[in-house]
Amino acid sequence: MDIDPSKILVRYNVQKEKAQTPEELAAEMYPKEEPARTIAAAIFDGEEDDVIEGLEKAIEGGADAIKLIDDVLMPGMKIVTDLYDQGVIFLPNVMMSADAMLEGIEFCKDQSGSVPKPKGKVVCHVAEGDVHDIGKTIVAALLRAAGYEVVDLGRDVPVDEVIAAVKKESPMMVTGTALMTTTMYAFKEINDRLLESGMKVPFQCGGGAVNQDFVTTYELGIYGEEAADAPKMAAAILSGKGLAQLKEMFHKH
Amino acid sequence: MVKRYTSQAYKAADDMVFGKSVYPVKSELGLEVGAGYVTAEVNYAPRPEAGVSKEKLVSEYRRLTTDILARAVQIGFPAISLETEHVEQMTNNPTWGGEIAHVQKTILEEYHEEYGIKCGLRHTPGDIREDRDLLALIGPKYDKLMESFEAVADGGADFLSIETMGGKEILDYSVLRNDVPGFIYSIGCLGGMDMEMIWTDIRKIADKKGRIAAGDTDCAQANTAMFIAGGLLDKNLAHTLAIIARTIAASRTLVGYEAGAQGPGKDCGYENTIVKSITGCPIAQEGKTATCAHADVMGNLTMQVCDLWSNESVEYHGEFGGTSVQCWSQTLSMDAALMNVATETGNAKLLRDMFMLSDRYRDPQGYILAYDNAYKIGSAIVKDGNDLYLRAKNAAIETVNLLTAADNKKLVMSKFELNALADAKAALEALTDETDTFMSDCLEKYKAEEPRFKPEANYKF
Repeated sequence: MDIDPSKILVRYNVQKEKAQTPEELAAEMYPKEEPARTIAAAIFDGEEDDVIEGLEKAIEGGADAIKLIDDVLMPGMKIVTDLYDQGVIFLPNVMMSADAMLEGIEFCKDQSGSVPKPKGKVVCHVAEGDVHDIGKTIVAALLRAAGYEVVDLGRDVPVDEVIAAVKKESPMMVTGTALMTTTMYAFKEINDRLLESGMKVPFQCGGGAVNQDFVTTYELGIYGEEAADAPKMAAAILSGKGLAQLKEMFHKH
Repeated sequence: MVKRYTSQAYKAADDMVFGKSVYPVKSELGLEVGAGYVTAEVNYAPRPEAGVSKEKLVSEYRRLTTDILARAVQIGFPAISLETEHVEQMTNNPTWGGEIAHVQKTILEEYHEEYGIKCGLRHTPGDIREDRDLLALIGPKYDKLMESFEAVADGGADFLSIETMGGKEILDYSVLRNDVPGFIYSIGCLGGMDMEMIWTDIRKIADKKGRIAAGDTDCAQANTAMFIAGGLLDKNLAHTLAIIARTIAASRTLVGYEAGAQGPGKDCGYENTIVKSITGCPIAQEGKTATCAHADVMGNLTMQVCDLWSNESVEYHGEFGGTSVQCWSQTLSMDAALMNVATETGNAKLLRDMFMLSDRYRDPQGYILAYDNAYKIGSAIVKDGNDLYLRAKNAAIETVNLLTAADNKKLVMSKFELNALADAKAALEALTDETDTFMSDCLEKYKAEEPRFKPEANYKF
């Protein structure tokens, strides 16, 4: 038995696909001048060696290593994340580009001997009792790719450790991910302990069993449905959005 | 050494149908799985606040078990099976899991005695073999896990299962980098090695306690790929790559049976149609009834050859129609009733094909898991059944071949999916046929690239 599936199925994703390839769209977005163009292309392709080679040439040509981070590497990565946001490229491309871009940043830091100023600091963790951390890995990579410093506490992180890290690092945002219903309960405790300590830091929560209904039961909680929401939320905080506005922006249901 | 499968239990794909397996299994309270009828397998998760103490957890499971059985007899279902997937406290404290199994089994016995309803109980300890930052597959956590299996078997669980995580440290790395050889290494090779160790021991416990070593699922890896791939509009992983991870997972899940598992295979093992074609053992599956847990593109197709029909997991809470477990158990049982009507009226194969066709062309995953193609993947696996690397590679190559040969007017793939497929094909064609070479190359590569990979400690390299 077989069927013509056109009566029972519509492939909207194929209908909506852009005529241009991702490579063609990216090429239109690369900066015109060199070496920024070559380095941006290397970031898009996720080619670490080519990124370093381009940076070496730029530094040999007199460019300031730290300025290259802001003027070349970050804009190059933004092309990738913009194309991801537009649905043109997929997450693994972003991860591979981020690997290449971060290697480039390390190279520039080594060359200059100084450290660039990040946009802000974010503490990331997976809830106590939970070892499912691929979501947190993606969140951390996307935040780093967007220019934020990430303090990655890892997985199965006790509440005390999260609180201590927030006290020590004074982050602009905390993220928590959990896969299981029982482990996500730790988020409420983190919220209460932060409030007790007078630290009203936005607490982005997401992952597996976490849903908006649960996150709205505690004051600092903002629901992040997608990992890609993390850098957008950080950017919103930088632009001055408070808790209520963040909830307005990111609570979708 | 275990005995590997080098042939398939079914002579032809068309011989496979829901509710029937070559080797049915029977629970203590009369439930026969794969013996000619399909039964609901209800899954559930405690509410978040129930995890704070043993007493609260036991109470939660007592309530939800009673709810499920009460609804089953109210509506008149002849059989029901329950699966308790442990929250970590229940496995890390084996007496907790054991007591909950005992409480649940006691309720099943009461209903069985009073109404004659056939019942089964599966317990699935969590794979706790991890330290804070690293997998710890061998050592004290392994011993604790085995204690948990002993405790739930003593408590009355008929079917023993687990969702093991061997190889996950490499899969998590490779799935975010479109690294198909990494899928083969993590799922097919590392996962397979871990499966052989753990399922040999689970079978020993099952034999000692008079229980059934049921089966595993590659939830930790192939489902990670499937969830990341998501819906048709999602942009996180090509569905062509997700199905390659899935078919490799069939080779891995098969190892559980080679080491002593007898079925029913775990519900979220979407690779189970392939596995059933090889083992002939009964399987649980989930699909549209698992939308309470996650959204995936196969809703009906997964019913095609299932023996238990599951809802994956639902949080225990109230709905308009009763508690969540009552609503979902009724839905599952009604689906099972439809399948059993088809069997009784001689229409099982017709209904099977309708289930299959409703999702066959939805995406590459449904296309490959359609039972006729799944059977072909099974054939590719057993062709080199004695070699974990070669059979996983065969599964991946056959997947690419089937997708490439598909009617592109019916199975419509996006450019992205086709490009990812072409890249995967090139990566597979570049692979060696020498297992030792592949294993040593991967060992070197991933030791350098993934600091969480501890081959000596976890895989006895």
